[in-house]
This record gives sequence, C-alpha cells and structure tokens, in this order.
Amino acid sequence: MPVLDGVAMTISAADLADFIERLDTASARHEQALNAADARLGDGDTGSMLKRILAAMVAADARQSDDLPGAARRLAQATMKETGSSLGTLVATALMTLARQAGSRGGALAADDMADVTAAMADAVAERGKASAGDKTVLDSLRAVAEALRTGPATEATAARAARAALEDFRGRPCRIGRARMFPERSTDADDPGMLAAALLLDDVETIDAQ
Amino acid sequence: MKKLINDPARYVDEMLEGLVAAFPGLSLGGESGRCVARAQPARDGKVGIATGGGSGHLPLFTGYVGEGLLDACAVGNVFEGPSVQSCIDAIKAADRGAGVLCLYGNYGGDRMNFDMAGEMASADGIECATVLGADDVASAAPDEAEKRRGVAGIVFLYKIAGAAAEAGRDLSEVAGVVRRAAENTRSIGVALSPCRVPTASEPNFRIGDDEMEVGMGIHGEPGISRAALATADAVADIMYERLAAELPLRPGARVAALVNGLGATPLEELLIVWRQIARRLGQAEVTPVTPMIGNYVTSMEMAGASLSLMVLDEELEALMAAPASCPFWTVSP
Repeated sequence: MPVLDGVAMTISAADLADFIERLDTASARHEQALNAADARLGDGDTGSMLKRILAAMVAADARQSDDLPGAARRLAQATMKETGSSLGTLVATALMTLARQAGSRGGALAADDMADVTAAMADAVAERGKASAGDKTVLDSLRAVAEALRTGPATEATAARAARAALEDFRGRPCRIGRARMFPERSTDADDPGMLAAALLLDDVETIDAQ
Repeated sequence: MKKLINDPARYVDEMLEGLVAAFPGLSLGGESGRCVARAQPARDGKVGIATGGGSGHLPLFTGYVGEGLLDACAVGNVFEGPSVQSCIDAIKAADRGAGVLCLYGNYGGDRMNFDMAGEMASADGIECATVLGADDVASAAPDEAEKRRGVAGIVFLYKIAGAAAEAGRDLSEVAGVVRRAAENTRSIGVALSPCRVPTASEPNFRIGDDEMEVGMGIHGEPGISRAALATADAVADIMYERLAAELPLRPGARVAALVNGLGATPLEELLIVWRQIARRLGQAEVTPVTPMIGNYVTSMEMAGASLSLMVLDEELEALMAAPASCPFWTVSP
C-alpha cells in the first residue's frame, strides 16, 4: 500500500515498513550506479551504504511497533546501530524527525501532512549536516519534494517527479559542500550521489510491489 | 588485490579481538562493544582524551590508546564514522572526573556522532570540549581551512593532548594547547595505488600504473591533481613545497616531522622520501626534531606517503618529548 495514497489515508507503521521494503529493493537495483556517482565526487560507497542501511531497517521490521512514531524510532535505531557514517546519521536524523512530527500529531500522519513533515526533515538534516539550500546535496531534493507536496497532490508520484526535477535542475551547477567543492569543474558535470539516490529510489518505489 | 580475512562482515570485530589479545594494556568494551580504552584507567582528576573514527587506518585511531596519549577510542567500521553509542562509550571510558577532550578528524560522520554523544554526555554531567584535526591542505583552500579533513597530523595532536593531560592541566588548558598545535600542523599525501574495503569487490578508485594522485584523501577521495608518477625526490619536493607555502619555516624554526606510509609502501621508500625532506629542511635552516618515519596513519593497502609538519614552540616541543607509550609508538624520557 503506497504511503502517499490520498489525502484521507492515515500512514501506519505497516505503511512505513512497506515503503522501506520497496526502497530496499530499489537500492539493490541502483547500488553500483550510486557507487559510481559517488566515486566521481567522494569515496565511492553511497550505493553500498544505502543498501546496508535499508537492509538493516528491513531486518528491524517496523511492523512490530505499535504506532508510526515507534516505527520511525525503531528504524532510526537500526540505522545508527548499522553505521556511524554521515549518510547513516542523516537518515537517522530524518527518521527521528518523522517520529517527532507524527508524535506531535497524536501519533499519526495523513498524506497531506507530508509536505510539512518533509520540510521538517530537511531542516533537521541541514542542522545536523551543516549543509545549506543550493549546496547540491540531498537536502535540495528534500526541499524540492516538500515544496511539490505542498503545491501538488500529496502522492508518491509527485515526490518522485520533484526529486527527478531537482536532480536535473542541479546538473551544470557545482557542489558547494564537502570535498567535491574543491574541483567545481568536475562536480558541475556530476550528479550529487544523494540527489541521484533520491531520484532513482523514489522513481522505483512507485513500481515495486511490496514484498 | 588479495586479503587475509575470514568474513568481511566480521573484519573490524575480529581485528579488535586480535588487538586486545596482543596488547593487554588495552581493553575492549562499552555498550557498543566498539570502544577501546586503557585496561588500567588513568588516575582520577586527569583530563580524559577520547578519539574515534573509522577502521582501516591502523595504527590510527585505536593504536594510540596508552599512557601519555589517548584514554579511549570509538571504533567505526572500515572508513565509516563510529556510531553515536561508541562515541558515548569512549567519552565515558575516558572520563576521570575532570572533563573529556574529544579529539578527532574533521569528517562529517565523526563530527555529527561526537556532537550527539557530547550532548548526551554533558547531560550526564561530563564536561566535554572538542578539537578537530584538520591538517590536510589538499582538502580545502587556506581561506576555508576550517573545512579541511584530518589526516596524519592528528598523531602530533594526540601526543600534545596526552602530554598536557598527564601534566595535570585542566580541560580548557589542554584544549587550548591542542588547538595551537593544530593551527601549526599541515599534511599532504600522494597516492600511487588504490585500496579496497573488505566488503567491496572492487578497489575504491582507479589509478594508472604510471600515475600518482596528489592530495588524495585517506578514503580514496579525489585529490587535487593527477600526474605522471615521479621520482621519490620529486614527490618529496611536491609535498614539501605545498606545506612550506603555508607554514612559517623560517631559518631557526624547529618542526616535528612525519613521513607516513599509507599502508603498502616499504619503509625503505619512506626513508628515501625522508632523505629529500631532510635535505629541504636543511636548506631552509629548519631543524626537524625526532623525525618519525613509518606507518602511522594508513589507508588499508593504499601505496604512497604523506608528509606532516608541525612548527614547534618551546611548549609544544616539550610536550612532544614527554614520555608516552602505546602499542605502536613509544616516546622515552
């Protein structure tokens, strides 16, 4: 069952687990492409790291949690246990924000809440990772997704289109954070691996059947 | 490239089991199971020195736990930051009631996790201060030096921090002198071959047989230039001149110097590099104090070398000379 299925639907722990399982399947498909994208700008492990984190989250089985905040916390803990990498810490930060956002809304979220929730996740990731809008990181994808969900139908297709548009919008622009900012001529032509991951995985999530 | 391993997923844990089996002065524990600390904790009232980072760089980081150096180290997977829990474990293990200096390299994962751990330790009443190793001149321009990554120069900072803490200085004094040491330390490396993490099927970058990469990061991050492989003297000159451009190597200056092997370069070749560095220092009328030549900060089986220099004043020189002992480095009185 898609997470962002319609305005009336409430997102459950099982929906989150289902979403993570489909991301997990997608990450296996794109592991090497993401590693290759990261090798151009960083240390070449974004795809493998994402696959490991998602596998750890699937193993943690968010369905065992009573509610959405509990499920999100469970996934954050599984991520932090799996790795201390910056990617893992930022994913855990986003999940803890999801847990807090759901908690502040009585333990549940509707699809229409997801614009605000995604924006809050972007803010938390920016604060923890010290990135700014326009630096060419996954933060720019999150902000684009939040904006699209606010103005368009709150669906997974909207999120996927926004992530894809952000990726294309930033092609031709240099990275402004991390080691990649040291060689703007190379980073301008390269996709940020985090932005690429957001685009590829959200594209796939729509088409992968839940396991 | 071949590796002598049992199970890629158990690489770090089996390495740690071997480490503490070989060196009884070290213990392995914490809630994470990924904290190396002194088996006999330091005396009460001494400022604790905690560090952490990814595996794959031995002797960095865990190898420098010992008297006059570090009290505890949080251990991450190969080339990954340590988990928040292991950072908390290291801070707690280092705490002897006088606060803890968290001293680690300026990497995103390490910083985020130590930040979170420091916040949680502070809530438990442990005062924490932080100094980052940020000595790699290839990782940012001088006008944004705060963004530089930490590489082999952090070994100097461990020595300064450990000696200052052993001397009984308080947390702000220890942090202050380590910051001054950091401001006077610069490093650069040249890689000749890639490395491969145990869980990967491929090397983490490619480099031609006749090429070298100047300024490559210790995880295989791209450097500042790729060039035709040059002689040892030419490589030494490239590294020396890059550091000399940023450090006050004036006649009469004294420096701590480290020619560091990245993992797969023979000691003989490091000595050939040092021969030229010593010559260049001599021409500049700069005196190297107890030069260190060897594998101090590695990148798995990456071939190549790095040069680190720290310009000394009287206080820093005395702290560098203070006795210290750990599995991979001993400074005798």
